[in-house]
Amino acid sequence: MQRWDKIIIGAGLYGLYAALYAGRKGERVLVLEGEDAPFRRATYINQARVHMGYHYPRSYATAVKSAGYFDRFNRDFGFCVHRSFDQVYATSSAFSWTDGEQFEQFCRAAGIRCDRVDAGRYFNPGLCDGAFLTEEYTYDAHILRDWFLERLGEHPNVSLRWASPVTALEREDPVYRVGTQDGAWFESPFVLNATYASSNQIIRRALGPEEAFGIKYELCEIILCTVDKPLSGTGITVMDGPFFSIMPFGKTGLHSLTSVTFTPHMASFDPLPAFPCQASSGGSCSPERLGNCDSCPARPETAWSYMSSLARKYLRPEFGFHYQGSLFSMKPILKASEVDDSRPTVVRVHSHSPTLVSVLSGKINTVYDLDQVLEGEIDS
Amino acid sequence: MKESNFVSAVVYVHQCGGHIGDFLARLHGLLADNFKQFELICVNDASTDGSVEAIRAFAAGAEGPMVSILNMSYYQGLEASMNAGVDLAIGDFVFEFDSTVMDYDPALILEVYRTALTGFDIVSASAQERTPLSSRLFYRVFNRFAHTQYDLDTERFRVLSRRAINRVHAMSRAIPYRKALYANCGLKLERLRYRPLPGSGRAPMARERSRLATDALILFTGVAYRLALWLALVMMAVTLIVTGYTVAVYLSGSPVEGWTTTMLFLGFGFFGLFAILTLVLKYLSLLVDLTFKRQNYVFESIEKISR
Repeated sequence: MQRWDKIIIGAGLYGLYAALYAGRKGERVLVLEGEDAPFRRATYINQARVHMGYHYPRSYATAVKSAGYFDRFNRDFGFCVHRSFDQVYATSSAFSWTDGEQFEQFCRAAGIRCDRVDAGRYFNPGLCDGAFLTEEYTYDAHILRDWFLERLGEHPNVSLRWASPVTALEREDPVYRVGTQDGAWFESPFVLNATYASSNQIIRRALGPEEAFGIKYELCEIILCTVDKPLSGTGITVMDGPFFSIMPFGKTGLHSLTSVTFTPHMASFDPLPAFPCQASSGGSCSPERLGNCDSCPARPETAWSYMSSLARKYLRPEFGFHYQGSLFSMKPILKASEVDDSRPTVVRVHSHSPTLVSVLSGKINTVYDLDQVLEGEIDS
Repeated sequence: MKESNFVSAVVYVHQCGGHIGDFLARLHGLLADNFKQFELICVNDASTDGSVEAIRAFAAGAEGPMVSILNMSYYQGLEASMNAGVDLAIGDFVFEFDSTVMDYDPALILEVYRTALTGFDIVSASAQERTPLSSRLFYRVFNRFAHTQYDLDTERFRVLSRRAINRVHAMSRAIPYRKALYANCGLKLERLRYRPLPGSGRAPMARERSRLATDALILFTGVAYRLALWLALVMMAVTLIVTGYTVAVYLSGSPVEGWTTTMLFLGFGFFGLFAILTLVLKYLSLLVDLTFKRQNYVFESIEKISR
């Protein structure tokens, strides 16, 4: 039995950030990751937005918080951030929950940049009632991953174990005992559950279902595109309703294409994510343990035809884009956040000494919410 | 070989729970056989007869297609609902089914689409049937006075190119009467006529059609303006004649005391009133044009001739 100061489950951004944070303080840290490499799921497979808050015109709180962390993230991780493109936000004339004026007002209130430009420059006539140049960037998950691996390599007190899915989590005061698939056991007075879509499975191993997050699961597709010249230096997001976004994907030179209606392929409202495709996943995926949707044999067919038609309906014809490939991942969405469309970062402290903390966030730059927890300043 | 264009079918659903399932099944069958990708949008205009349940039942059983139900908050009529549906549609070509009565062979849908591909931005299908007198009267007046490029007629369904939808949005702030704008948008339009299959029922008439007809006549034809203007001018003429008569009576005999002044005053006053009214009417018609129409001209295409 190995004893650690902190055990971190999940090697996404939140997990590795926590590991480095604690490692720098000289703590002995163990990171357990189910995949054979870090950043294989949500940290990589998303729109790669460094959020400034524009996305949440109906949740001032979420917006202000993102904006607050925006500068800090760009300072700390600027090396992986792609900034040299025009990020355009537009409000759709029909079916939007927010119109151009309201969006402008919201940006003013949140104190974020928003310069009105002619919607006709980007969109077909009548489809958008406001277009705005904004300040928002995109990060490159692979550059960020390599940076973390390099930094963590400088700390011999941090140990990373790949291909070690957690199969057991038991409280045995004053520690939690963590068991992995290969039969190894580890223990620590502090366990951080940073497994995003798998959070509830981990929580339920140690505690009752009442401690689990109230989430719905969506199997989401991000499409990667090559783009024609007019679009290459531009990111476009049409809000606030069943619309789409096409924007640079980190520093890859590709654009990501997503849409509110067609990006989620399937949804599960069960306490643990049950999906019909799990039956044909070759045993790699079940409600108790989610596989990697992107490398799954039962990966859905692309919704490219739908997403591209939606984007083409809005965009002027010169903004051409072409299919390159798709990425799939599971996304947990807090049920409470559907009305105001907020995306709070939830840090839930399940127990003290031994400590078990779960973090659930859909945004990269709110990673700093972990600082308090890692400093031990926690209250539940 | 299936068509690779993405098509959307927007269906108006109001109190047709009885046959909507059947309609969707036939429509879906045709689209699935002929198109690689398509979507169905059912605009539910406050149906209370189980139409929505019927659509859900159909969607649950159908293979593949994306079915959206757009629920209007309360009854808003055919035009507003279909505008909402078309706004939601993402297809390169959008079918508008104003009614769920299918009194034609589904193959006609494909024929309409194929016709569009030959160079028509708007292609509609209309039944060769006896329409009610009121409809015929409306279309006759409309076509006589609205200087649209194409005449209007009753239509069962139509297909629009994305270009036509964009054009109509660019031309007009609001779309109170789709057909008139389509006919007037300057792009090529074609109408296919078919003989309705017997026993398939008649398409119901929209509840709000008399209001729609008045609105359409006022907005798209000068008929109301000209009628009012003409009346005002007639009244002015009558006032002038009465004034002349008053003067004649005054000169030729001895009218009752005060009658001449009263009459002259009335004549002067009414003449002024009708003159002002004429000006006001002119202003109003200009205002309608200015607020309603965004573009001053429409064009079909630009042809560049170079060697």
